[in-house]
Amino acid sequence: MPQAPYGDAESLFRAAHNELMRVAYALLGNHADTEDAAQDSFFKLVTAWHRVGGLPTPGDQRAYLIRIVINEALHILRYPHRRWERLGVDAADREARWEPLDEQVQARADLRLLWKAISELPGMRRDVVALRAAGYEYGEIAASLGVSVSTVRSHISNARKQLSRTVARDWEGAQG
Amino acid sequence: MSRRVPADGQRDLLDWLYELGKQRAERVPEFDVERTISRAYAARDAGAVNFWTVLNPAERSAFESAARKQAFAPGTALMREGEHADAVMVILDGWAKVCLDEDGRERVITERGPGDLIGESGTVPGNVRSATMIALDTVQALVMRTEDYTALIADFPGVPDLVKKQTYDRRTGRP
Repeated sequence: MPQAPYGDAESLFRAAHNELMRVAYALLGNHADTEDAAQDSFFKLVTAWHRVGGLPTPGDQRAYLIRIVINEALHILRYPHRRWERLGVDAADREARWEPLDEQVQARADLRLLWKAISELPGMRRDVVALRAAGYEYGEIAASLGVSVSTVRSHISNARKQLSRTVARDWEGAQG
Repeated sequence: MSRRVPADGQRDLLDWLYELGKQRAERVPEFDVERTISRAYAARDAGAVNFWTVLNPAERSAFESAARKQAFAPGTALMREGEHADAVMVILDGWAKVCLDEDGRERVITERGPGDLIGESGTVPGNVRSATMIALDTVQALVMRTEDYTALIADFPGVPDLVKKQTYDRRTGRP
């Protein structure tokens, strides 16, 4: 249902869709969460279209959209699993998962503090790290976000130090 | 493949995430982009503004006196996809899931809880529900006829233009 003024947002979303799904799925690891991230990302794109549509190049618009998807995926990773799944009403999606649910729940609980620490990294550093966590090579990260490879390298190197400090401190706190 | 986080100091966390992400990226399943787009629109139609909290006390009591209170037991429908939309509701307590029927399978697209205005797309004359809403626990809601709602919010300065604009957009057939 392409309708002005969102037809352009839909076109951008369709063109970037494969990459968006790759990023979201690599971070989230299951079908239902990836679809949620996609749905919410499209919603955010439409809401922000007055800004995104004015960006100078298609590459800038695409980079903005990738950052929206990263943000949505990190949000899902940081916060407890959604209510309807806790209540067991989303059974239809479970069959589509390739990781056993209890392992996913355990892994997610283990990792929540790490995702929280990643979410709290400053702007571009956070997105560079998220794409690295999605299995991207440095050159791919640079191309997707429209920055240089040396910028990517320096963000990752700084983030490594920052994360190991933060996570060590939070885990101690959580256990103590 | 271990899903456990490596013990601190044994391995770099970011390298570990990178390897996990890379493995997953090699087996990304199919996702239907058109379905995602229509779900996003349907979720928005289900109401995305926390209505109750933007009203001032006088507006809330005006709303309350024009509405009736109704309780929905867990598992019952507040509204059904395809039905004529003749009422709007504000959830006061409890949660409902919003779902679409996709080829006979239920697909949950979002959830609504306290303060949410739902069924507001019924302000388009002759409109039908774009989604089904099922109570997840006991839902207490204020239910109001659509005509009364439309007349009422026109006079509410506390209702943000966003909500009024959504109503306007739907009336004029914009997405």
